[in-house]
Amino acid sequence: MLPIPGSPRVPAASGHQWRTLLESRELILIAATVVVILLAGLINHDFLSGSNLRFMLLNSVVLALVALGQTLVIIAKGIDLSVAPVLGLAAIVSGLLATRQGLPLWSAVLLVLALGAVLGLINGALVSSINIPPIIVTLGTYSLYSGLIFLYSNGDQVNSVPDSYAHFGNGALASWFPLPIPILVLLVIMLAVWLLLGHLPFGRNILAIGNNPAAAHHAGVPVKATLTSAYVITGTLAALAGLIYVCYTGSATATTGTGDHFELQSIATVLIGGTAVAGGRGSVFGTVLGSTFLSVVVTSLVFLHVPAIWYSAGEGLMILLAVTSSSLRRQDTRRAA
Amino acid sequence: MTRPANAAPSVVSPVRRKPRLGSWERALAALLLMQLLFFSLVVPGFFDGVSGLLNMTTNFLPFGLVALGLVPVILTGGIDLSVGSIAGFSAVFMAILWKHFGLSLGAAVPLALLAGALLGSLNGLLITRTRTEPLIITLATSFVFTSITTAMAGADPPSGFPDRFNALGTGALWGVSYQLILFVVLAVVFGLLIARTRFGRSVIMVGYNRDATRYSGINVNATVLGVYVISGLMAALSGVVLAAYYSAVRGDMGDILLLTALTMVVLGGINIFGGEGSVLGAVLAVLILGFLRQGLLIAGFSDMVTTMAIGAILLIAITAKNLLGTPNTFVAQLQARFSRPSPPPPEKVME
Repeated sequence: MLPIPGSPRVPAASGHQWRTLLESRELILIAATVVVILLAGLINHDFLSGSNLRFMLLNSVVLALVALGQTLVIIAKGIDLSVAPVLGLAAIVSGLLATRQGLPLWSAVLLVLALGAVLGLINGALVSSINIPPIIVTLGTYSLYSGLIFLYSNGDQVNSVPDSYAHFGNGALASWFPLPIPILVLLVIMLAVWLLLGHLPFGRNILAIGNNPAAAHHAGVPVKATLTSAYVITGTLAALAGLIYVCYTGSATATTGTGDHFELQSIATVLIGGTAVAGGRGSVFGTVLGSTFLSVVVTSLVFLHVPAIWYSAGEGLMILLAVTSSSLRRQDTRRAA
Repeated sequence: MTRPANAAPSVVSPVRRKPRLGSWERALAALLLMQLLFFSLVVPGFFDGVSGLLNMTTNFLPFGLVALGLVPVILTGGIDLSVGSIAGFSAVFMAILWKHFGLSLGAAVPLALLAGALLGSLNGLLITRTRTEPLIITLATSFVFTSITTAMAGADPPSGFPDRFNALGTGALWGVSYQLILFVVLAVVFGLLIARTRFGRSVIMVGYNRDATRYSGINVNATVLGVYVISGLMAALSGVVLAAYYSAVRGDMGDILLLTALTMVVLGGINIFGGEGSVLGAVLAVLILGFLRQGLLIAGFSDMVTTMAIGAILLIAITAKNLLGTPNTFVAQLQARFSRPSPPPPEKVME
């Protein structure tokens, strides 16, 4: 939002340079995660138990899915505040339909994906066709979608889900292969987004738009279509995250998503993962590693008996650290140049 | 998150050099009047004399105070996501000083406002020193402030302030609530500050063209720091008023402020990328959204329908503005950017 005063925007560095930068952020995150796990494990041995490690991974899936979508729009110089109510709407719609009408799981998946795509399409159309700044569009749809949640649920809440749903949220893939299903889903989606962003024309277009929308337009990038699709993907992923949320926790209320401030959490995760909020570059793996790191840190604070009220302060400090370190590095390279 | 340039047009529309001055404010004023008329005629119990109408404003003016404080920030092209947490912090801080340190509220309130200004200056310093987007910095600081506030408030935050203090939230002077008097005075102050002072001119110039502002000898960093101090101060004031309104404080009492206040500023016609907008527009938007909420609530709609309506109004208004008012095609935007005359007369700025 702030162009750097006094100096023209540094043109997008060559692919090689920023790739090494991203890799370093990912390495830092992995190292930090390992260090936190080892430290917490030294102090409290239960921390290293298999069930706790599994819990920490599972716990990060919902946020990671939302943040993956957020990564796409932030790379394209956008932002999506409406992910929180989209997540909540998907959670409460699928949860209520499952408990009341016994909606089978596969149709819940389809329903939720379609719902997220439509809500994302509304965002995308408003951003790209009418040219309203994304932060305003999604601020408006945030209110709209939150209202839809209340209209649909009418104050009811989901207290339990059928077994098939619970299995989808917690269960292992097969008895001989104890990989939890949500983690498999996350891995598949992560690979898909990585392929999309790094190896398909769509990803190149998104990066081009994020670096310089005017240049991208003149270079023949279909700016409108690309942007719209980015918001559709973000909405779809947020809705899928909502379904996994209700399956994993077995509960959903009218303030699911908005109450936990998933919109701010997902932006924080993306930033910690090394994506630049000014757009133009970003890291899919960084985002997922960022959400795992956050989950590990929060869980270790629980194990170390730090009161829960300090979690968000820790998160804020991590954002500041992540962002200021990269901004200082930026200044150094400029001075050297 | 920089300027929007995401449309790919096939037709170049004629470029209108400058949107007609005040047309958005006129539209907002007409909308406000129509809305008040509509509610008065259709919703029984809405119109209860002029004083009833004025009293209704106490339900939403804390949002308006935050919105006023956000105006300069957004005029510089920045944003402050920490206003809600600063409001909560200051309210709790004031209550703690009063309850546990035995300060009179006359001393605690100024200290709480000072605390808000200091938190705002922390935002401003972080933004200018690290050259990081305000969105990130204020997102991060809001997390930190929220934690500190929750820790300060504890399980049983103070409540039950003396009546003289509560009057700030619910009392009235000759039938006009103190909140309204405060809001009107501050709105005039902000209007003069933005339109008539050197600082206000710098604020708009920073939002319009940061580099040019710097080259013309204006201290950009000081201006940016200033707007975040103002926004922190106004958030703190809003927190104090909310405390008086409820006669209680809670750590999360500021959470509701941000999105509504931001909506008010944006509906007021202030360009989210900075450089354009007026305090009058923001004030009208505060009244429109506030009375809309009250009208719908009195008509028996739930809080959530009201929220939806506010979201819808924001989107419809901005869509209408983009489609009708300003050039919205991509090439037209580019042309407009290059052909726009620089808005402030240089001799006044340079002195």
